[in-house]
Amino acid sequence: MAAKAGKRAKSTNRQQEQEETSMADGQAQTETTVLEDPELSRSPEHEPEPKLPMSGVRVIDLGTFLAGPHAASVLGEFGAEVLKVEHPIAGDPMRRFGTPTKRHDATLAWLSEARNRKSVTIDLRQQEGVQLFLKLIAKADVLIENFRPGTMEEWGLGWPVLSEANPRLIFLRVSGYGQTGPYRRRSGFAHIAHAFGGLSYLAGFPGETPVVPGTVPFGDYFSGLYGAIGIMMALRHRDKTGRGQVIDIAIYESVFRQLDEIAASYGLFGKVREREGSGSFVAVPHGHFRTQDDKWVAIACTTDKMFERLAEAMERPELASSALYGQQRKRLAARNEVNQIVIEWVGSLPREEVLNRCLACEVPVGKLNNIADIFEDEHFRARGNLVSLEEPGLGEVVVPGVVPTLSATPGRITNLGPPLGNATYEIMRELLELSADEIKRLRQRKII
Amino acid sequence: MIMTNQTHEDALPLSGIRVVDVATVIAAPYCAGILGEFGAEVLKVEHPMGGDICRKYGTPTQRGDTLAWLSEARNKKSVTIDLHRREGVEVFKRLIEKADVLCENFRPGTLEKWGLPWEALHEINPGLIMLRVTGYGQTGPYKDRPGFARIAHAVGGIAYLSGMPKGTPVTPGSTTLGDYLTGLYGCLGVLMALRYREQTGIGQYIDAALYESVFRCTDELAPAYAMFGMVRERHGPTHNDFACPYGHFPTKEEGKWVAIACATDKLFARLAEAMGRPELASSSLYGEQKTRLENRHDVNEIVRDWCGSLTRDEVLKRCYATGAPAGPLNNIADIFGDRQFHARRNLVSIDDSDLGETVIVPAVIPRLSETPGRIRHLGPKLGEHTDAVLTELLGMSTEEIGELRKKRVI
Repeated sequence: MAAKAGKRAKSTNRQQEQEETSMADGQAQTETTVLEDPELSRSPEHEPEPKLPMSGVRVIDLGTFLAGPHAASVLGEFGAEVLKVEHPIAGDPMRRFGTPTKRHDATLAWLSEARNRKSVTIDLRQQEGVQLFLKLIAKADVLIENFRPGTMEEWGLGWPVLSEANPRLIFLRVSGYGQTGPYRRRSGFAHIAHAFGGLSYLAGFPGETPVVPGTVPFGDYFSGLYGAIGIMMALRHRDKTGRGQVIDIAIYESVFRQLDEIAASYGLFGKVREREGSGSFVAVPHGHFRTQDDKWVAIACTTDKMFERLAEAMERPELASSALYGQQRKRLAARNEVNQIVIEWVGSLPREEVLNRCLACEVPVGKLNNIADIFEDEHFRARGNLVSLEEPGLGEVVVPGVVPTLSATPGRITNLGPPLGNATYEIMRELLELSADEIKRLRQRKII
Repeated sequence: MIMTNQTHEDALPLSGIRVVDVATVIAAPYCAGILGEFGAEVLKVEHPMGGDICRKYGTPTQRGDTLAWLSEARNKKSVTIDLHRREGVEVFKRLIEKADVLCENFRPGTLEKWGLPWEALHEINPGLIMLRVTGYGQTGPYKDRPGFARIAHAVGGIAYLSGMPKGTPVTPGSTTLGDYLTGLYGCLGVLMALRYREQTGIGQYIDAALYESVFRCTDELAPAYAMFGMVRERHGPTHNDFACPYGHFPTKEEGKWVAIACATDKLFARLAEAMGRPELASSSLYGEQKTRLENRHDVNEIVRDWCGSLTRDEVLKRCYATGAPAGPLNNIADIFGDRQFHARRNLVSIDDSDLGETVIVPAVIPRLSETPGRIRHLGPKLGEHTDAVLTELLGMSTEEIGELRKKRVI
């Protein structure tokens, strides 16, 4: 399976991919050459990197799991130097979260999501570790943490201390409930934040069991993105004024912010949105439908025009007449009837046939891909969404590529999740200019 | 529920940045929305007849525009220009000359058809940054297919994972998640491109695909398939690939659920304590993740029985007391009553003079200590700012504007 996946995966060099995709449809031939290209295994030290938007920005990622760290990942993909500071013995618990690999300190989730980092071990529960950490802070632009609010303060690393060590520092704090408010000390994970933020309540069939909305760490990514956006804004502000600041992100807020008009419609009309199964409250037909070969497609007729096209694809154009279901209002009123018609039509054909007929009429339609479908998909391949990297001792590891794609300065993946402490010596020696003896002493005392 | 801590406009991180938002619905416009919250001037360019279809997406208000529009077009100025007309394209080009960022989400080829390909825009304004959002991106075999977030959830792999095992896959909570997600990745791209432009003077475009934003957020789905051939399936209310207990559990009260997430052994020990059964976390029983995963049915059963014997508040109170990670499955009514939402001012009331009503919308995030964002007004009326922008920004005369209006170019 590894080899099979490897062949389908693409290089890490987005620039190159873009050239390829613009070179029309010769994907099949170019892929193999891309994979054999020695550039793939080239380590970044061998050649100066082209300038990227975040070049010269140093990020200290003190976070665990995903919520804060995803912010560091995206900045790292676009050129920031990311130092992952971890406990010398345990490291980030993310190293143990997910599917284990032959590398004892790395699950697959860690390898993918700790991309582009250097690992530096420092024990912040020891006073000497705190002092060392503050030296690092003096040389950093951004610090990211996601401990329970109060933890950094207990270690003597509150904002006043950090800001004094480096007035230009930007401090991203991600937590389940934020740094303020009555619940701030509660432990929070994305799974809890999905529930608290109102998303989980909406996933599932009406009156039935609320299910996990897709994946358990979904909200962590949202928070990481809001965090990264906050950092970019704060960097602009700092470059103008010389002053850093704090960004306070609650995971539940990142989830709640994305629920379109749910607050406005409760506020104005008292409407409590309920679970909608595979559908949507704003449009019909808009949902998931089972095909004859027991697979699924999504169809989204957001507008009347889209429904007209679907009616045409179904060879029943009369359905889109104003006397029948031409208007969204009428379709919403006759939700069950309209859905039933679509259910029957989709159920009478294999998935490929449904897709072909819909696409011929420009109906918004798509397969409900599982990961096997995704690996087979020509569009994922053409866009370079699956990137294969050779990891020592593990072979090929395939991970999602960089998003978004920038035309002049595409991001890149230089390395997967690093071994614990792989850059401790380098950073202590070169950045903090400690002597070899000093480093040895710190190591013996398990401070680093 | 009123936002405090207003920043002086000039001090906001994006003051002085002008964004032209010619996009529709939520994805690319959400990027413009965030930039506007932090000080950018956002000009929403819309078709003179009807405008952005987001005005019709969701629950209508007396004004005709929906609540989704009022909330998500916050802070924008509406300028009507018909880009299907040559004269409209000329006005638009003059606007681009004075813009820093352009957000668009037409199907690939549309801007080109109007004589506005990237090369032309870049020539007019070499520092321009353009965010392009589509269902499938600007390249690849599916680039011309229509795409909405619903489709992107399906193609990107997240819809397949939502629902009961072997049951009908359900909407992953909300049909527009992928739009917001893409708005976020797009906004990040724009901010990085702005940084690069300030250092080099060079603009660029960002090619964002809805399905890619969704797929990027699927943790180890791809590496696990590539390495072990694992195809992840729907798990219903509990997700025990990595940890147990991890899921939704019903309480004694009909319709009230709690979420519990024991990602580590320590967190399970706290839950065991909350349940009054600390022995469950001993190494001979379920103290280790590995053992819990092997016995997930038993462990889930124990937690389900316990939750089912108490009210929601009792379950939560006991969990909070020991630090076990738990939370309510809030509906929007719960949210409006919640102390944390109030304390964090997550709900902002804005008096809309046109509606004569107060509209409550989600507040600005992220929360910045020195330069917090702000909501100055809700979604504008169609063409509300056309005259002001054409006069003040482009220096057009009243006659010129009258002429364009007569021809329905604006």
